[in-house]
Order: sequence, then structure tokens, then C-alpha cells
Amino acid sequence: MTPAQALMEAAQPIHAPPTSFWRRYVFSIDHKVIARQFLWAGLLFLLFGGALAMLIRWQWGFPYRPVPLVGGLFLRGSGGLIGPAVYQQLFTTHGLIMIFFAVTPVLIGCFGNLLIPLMIGARDMAFPRLNMYSFWTFLLSQLLVLASFFTALGTAGAGWTTYPPLSTNVGMPGLGQTLMVAAIFVTGASSTMGAVNYVTTVIRLRAPGMTYMRLPLTIWGLWLTAILTALFVPVLGSAALLLLLDREFGTQFFLPAASAVRGGGDPILWQHLFWIFGHPEVYILILPAWGILGDVISFFARKPHHWYRGTVWAMIVVTVLSAMVYGHHMFLTGMSPLLGEGFMLFTLLISAPSMVVVLNWVLTVWKGSVRLDTPMLFALGTAFVFGVGGLTGLFLGDVSMDLYLHDTMFVVGHFHFTMAAASFMGAMTGLYFWFPKMFGRRLDERLGKAHFWFTLIGLTLVFGGQLLAGYAGQQRRLFDPFQYTFIQGLRGLNRWTSYFAFALFAGQFLFVANFFRTVFGRRAAPSGPNPWEVTTLEWSATSSPPPFHNFDRIPEVVRGPHEFSNPEVRRLTGRDYAGQAEVLPGGGEPAAAAGKG
Amino acid sequence: MSGATQQGGHGEQVPAPVYGLARYRRRPRGAERTARVGMAVFLGSWAMLFVGLFFAYAAVRARAPVWPPLDAPPLPRLLPGLNTLVMAGSSAAVARAVRAQDLGRAAGAAAALGIAAGLGAAFVALQGFVWTGLWRQGLVPSGGTYASVFYALTAFHALHVLVGLAALGWFAVRARAGGSGRTDVRLWGWYWHFVGVVWAALYATLYLA
Repeated sequence: MTPAQALMEAAQPIHAPPTSFWRRYVFSIDHKVIARQFLWAGLLFLLFGGALAMLIRWQWGFPYRPVPLVGGLFLRGSGGLIGPAVYQQLFTTHGLIMIFFAVTPVLIGCFGNLLIPLMIGARDMAFPRLNMYSFWTFLLSQLLVLASFFTALGTAGAGWTTYPPLSTNVGMPGLGQTLMVAAIFVTGASSTMGAVNYVTTVIRLRAPGMTYMRLPLTIWGLWLTAILTALFVPVLGSAALLLLLDREFGTQFFLPAASAVRGGGDPILWQHLFWIFGHPEVYILILPAWGILGDVISFFARKPHHWYRGTVWAMIVVTVLSAMVYGHHMFLTGMSPLLGEGFMLFTLLISAPSMVVVLNWVLTVWKGSVRLDTPMLFALGTAFVFGVGGLTGLFLGDVSMDLYLHDTMFVVGHFHFTMAAASFMGAMTGLYFWFPKMFGRRLDERLGKAHFWFTLIGLTLVFGGQLLAGYAGQQRRLFDPFQYTFIQGLRGLNRWTSYFAFALFAGQFLFVANFFRTVFGRRAAPSGPNPWEVTTLEWSATSSPPPFHNFDRIPEVVRGPHEFSNPEVRRLTGRDYAGQAEVLPGGGEPAAAAGKG
Repeated sequence: MSGATQQGGHGEQVPAPVYGLARYRRRPRGAERTARVGMAVFLGSWAMLFVGLFFAYAAVRARAPVWPPLDAPPLPRLLPGLNTLVMAGSSAAVARAVRAQDLGRAAGAAAALGIAAGLGAAFVALQGFVWTGLWRQGLVPSGGTYASVFYALTAFHALHVLVGLAALGWFAVRARAGGSGRTDVRLWGWYWHFVGVVWAALYATLYLA
């Protein structure tokens, strides 16, 4: 044991695992258990949010027709029909649930908790108890969301963006909207707790030798995400707080008043606060996926990541720029053209570092010995849908084009490609890849590949259909788009998009089946510590699933995260990879040389 | 930071040739530094919540034709000014307590914490006095944007004062009974200074300017 390891061992002594059921599985402070709790909570709400999307698609494909199956159960009052008020609640809660209560817990809550300590070589998070509070706070926010469905006037209906004055008492007098805004505040508090923990853990608990430039890209993605979360989720918290005060205590921050002497509140103020948070939020959801992709593509191409430092710096630049572009959501609010142009410039500038990231993925695959296992398929699929999302974003970031496309289905298609398709497939990449580490068994490959094709083709067709509809002029959020003569020609397109959406949703049950078969079935064999033959600490320095204390001895990292196909390593070990903390026979000199790369 | 300070809380477990590790010398020795980093990150994050609130204040004020509105009762300046001094005194007392703890003077720390908590309570009382006075003069939260800003910001700040007050009071009681964790007092001290700085900004922008 080196002195540096001794220091870390002294700072993080091994504790005996708890023995009682409650301490072990419910009120656990073990980051691996909390990660699984976030996973379950997130996946359940993902299914819920997806089901809501199906109802929206039903309305667009078949307006004024009773919903089959669920219509008789939940919409009995209206004879199975989706009425305008219910429709509003559908698209509102679909958006809110997917973003705050499904994708965030899976991508950040689950992977952040699971991977940060394991990949940097720590025994747990910096503040394990805070970690537990973060999960239970999150669960409280989910319960608030569920409760909002059972209030007198139904749940929130002001759109996921919750714009006033619609979201104030004037537009949405019901308790449901209040509960939903409160849920946003509470989930924000949970995210902030998590972010403080993640940021501190990466700063303080990296294993000896794990320099910043040896961090796996996944950790870079999660860490930058945590920084953005810590900085900008509280801004959303302030907005939610003021909205709650407006709703409950009669203050007038967002209510334009008639009085000419006193002036009134300002609905646009909400948009500022919301998008100061909202644009970084887009990157909060995509940066972890970028990081996961950077690692997984390198792992399955059996090549070091192309220009690792370039990717890291590009991700940092994107993080900084993401805080300076929020105005592009507000080009149509009467913003000064000069300001609009500034926001446009920064927005389009983001595509430069983004291209560095994407090109590095492509160049990593280039001439690699590609293994097309399910995680790799999902990674490549993510790169594709993210590419489509990013390229369509250029149209919307441009002021003159946005004047036409604003509030059309084009916007919906664009952000679903980036935030829904790319984040979802990125999360699936991570799930298929780290599943053996979480549960000790690999998901079934055949089902996984079928799931992949359903997902990739489904997502592309559904959101591609939305892009086309929007380009043809269909406004978003219309209860019955076909009231307008010029949209009537899009009836067929909408109906087909709905069919594809139903197929996409049905395809997800392949994953559900795969998940339950692997976790609870008897057939899947244990995967062994390193089934993918990769380099990072969680695979190469501990077992699957890892023990309570993660590492019997805190590893000393000697090389970067992507040591693949090094001929010297092959000569010494007969393998095409070397773990980050692996000491090679013969003194480890080649490893020290390769560690710089 | 030098290699000679390696003997931290875990000094007895660290082997001798630690001073050779120039590269790792800023690495953690115990949970204290980690806790400090965590608190700094948290306060930076939480400050953004107040940035959001002040942003809202600025936006509302910039739109108003007259600020303060002509029919609003004038805000007092003297009492809140006094309160600023109370808050500063309380912050100084906490700093004093931390110093006393570092020097190992338990009685001094207990006294300083008691004074800090007492001043904090005085702050809340004075603020309550200001509120009730204004309320009686007709300034209520639903009375337009001016009142909205005034009550939302001061009340949310007062909530933070109450949280800090609870912690300081607890520490004062514990200090008499034999002392609490040094790190706890220091970090809650940071929080207390943070709340004080927010109050200074509130006083300057709400009452003075």
C-alpha cells in the first residue's frame, strides 16, 4: 500500500454493512442502494409519463373518439373522451413528469449515485446521509405529483413551462397546480442536495492517481451536470417560490395589474427565471448521456477515446455557454433585437464544441474493433438522434427562422430528439452497460437488441413526424389541430405518427420483460466482475455487484480510462485492455507511458 | 500548506514518509475539509436562489412607473439599520466563538454562541416589529408589486434567520454541556455570515435605495 492510499484509507475507513432490513434496503445510506431506489422511482414514472404521451397521441390521431381501454377507466365522466381540460393536463404532466420525475432520477439520481464513487475509487459519497435525504425528498415530490391528480379540479394544466398568467390563480385556480409547483420546488431541493454531494465527492474523494484528466468521461459528464444543477436549479426554486406566493398569498409578481400608478407584475419575468434555469437544464439532461457515450463507445470500439482532452474541454465550454443562451427561448417576447442577436450568436456557437464531442465519437469508432453489443448499439443510436436534434436546433436558434417555427410542432420534435430521444437512449446505454454492476447479471442480448431497434426506429419516426408537421405549420399544444383548414391536410401524418408512437411504447415492454426476467428470474448466470472487459475502476478493481464498502483496498490509479489495444499491454498480459489501477507484470513502465494518453 | 501539517485527525494511522507526496498534499485528511468544500458548494448554490429573487425584484422595479408607489407607507430606515448592526454583531460573535473553539476555550465559545443566538433573536423581534408596524399602516402582501417584493424577500430571509437561530441556540446549549463538533460550529458560522450578507443586500436595496 502506498502512502497516498494509506491517507485515503484513513479518511474512508471500512464500516460494517448494516444488518437490519430497513437500514439495508429502505433507509440506506449506501450509494448503490440509493441509486437503485432512484432507478425504480424513475422507471415507474417513465412508464407513467409514456402512457400520458400515448393519450396525447390518441387525441392528435383520433380527436373526439373515445380512448380504448383506459378511457372507460379514467375518463368515465366524459364517456371515454379526452376533453380540452384533460388534454391540457395530459401534455402538462407528461412534460413535467418526464423531465423532473423520470429522466432526471434515472440519468442523474441513479447513474450519478452509482457511478461517481465507484468510478473515482471512493467508498461512498462525501455525505452519505445527505444522499439518503436527497432520495426521500425526491420521493416526497413524486407523491405531491401523484396527489395533484386527485384534487377537485384535477392536476396542473398550464404547460410544462408553467407560464403565468395561465399558471396563476386566474388561469388555474385548482389545488392541483399548486401541488405541482410545490413538487417542482421540492424536487429542486432534492436535486440541489444531490448536486452538492456529487460536486464535493468528485473534488475530494478521487482515489490516489485519479487526476482530473484521468477521470472517465462519464464522471466528467455527471460532474459538469452537478455543477449546472447546483447553480441553476435554485433559480427555478426562486421562480416556483414566487409563483406559490402569487397563488397562495396574493402577491403580484407575475400578474399584470390594471393599475397605471402602481404598475403590475410581469408574466415575462417568469419566462426569464424559468429559462435561466431551463436552458442549462437541457444540458443537465444531456451531459451525463454525453459522458456515458464517450466511455461506452471507446469501450466497445476497443480503442482509446479519440482526443480525450478535446472532449473534456468541449464539454466544459458547452457547460459555460449553456448558461448564456437562455434568451433564445424568448425571441418572440418583444426582446430587443440586439439582445436577440447576442443570444443567437452564443446559441449557434454551442454547435462548435458539440461538434468536437460528436466528431470524437465518430473518430473513436473509426477503424476500431467494434463490438456491437446492446450498450454499443444504444450508444450509436444516441449519437444519431442527438445529431438530428442538434441540427434542427440550429434552425430554432436563428432568430429569423425561429419567428416562423416558434411554438410549432417543429420545436416539439427538436427538443424531443435531444431531451427525450437522446437522454432516454443515453440512459438505456448506461442501463444495459452497468446492469451487471448493479444486479450482478447481464440483460438478455436478444431482447435488448430487439428493444434497441424498436426504440431507435420508433423515436426517429415519431419525432421526425413531429418535425414534419411543425415545418408544415402545425402549432404545438392544439387540442384539435384540424379545426384549422391549413392543418387538415396533416391528418394522415398525425395519425401515422400516432401509430408509430403506439409501437414505440409497446416496444418498451421488451425492456420491462428483460428487466424483470434478469433481476428476478433464475436463468441468467452471474456476469462476473468484468463482463465487458473494460478498464474503469468499477469493473477492473471490484466485484459485481460490489461489496458494501466498494473496494477492499482503495485503488491507486496509474493510467487513463481508455487503455485499449496497447501492444505492450497485450505482450505483458495477453489482453487488449488494462484496468486503470492494474499493475502490469514487469514493473508497469509501459503503463506509465500510456497513462498520459 | 506544508508537509509538516500531515498530522491531522488521523495522524496516528498515517505512515511516516508522507511528506514525500508533494502531489497529494492537498488531499483530504479527515472529513473536515470535505465538509468545508461541501458547505461552500451548498452556499454557492443556495446563493443562486437569492440571485433569482433579486432578479425578480429588479425586473419588477424596473417596470414600475413610480417606486415606491405614492400610496405606500414609507419604509422605516432607522430600525432596519439598527437590525443590520445587530446582524453584524451576531456574525462577529459567531466568528469569535469559532476562534475560541480553535483555541480550546470552551467557556468563551459558549458565551459567544449565546450572544450570537441572542442577537439573532433580537433581529427577528425587531423585524417582526417593523412588519407589524407596516401592516397596520396598510402595507399587505396582496397590495401590489411593491408589497409583494417587500414581504416575499424579507420573509424568506427571516426564514433563513430562524433556521440559523435554531442551530446556534442548539450549539450554545451544547457548548455549555461539553461542546459540539468544531466543524459544525464553523460551517453553521459560514451559513450565518451568508444570511448576514443577504440581509445587507436587502437593507441596501429595499430600505435605502
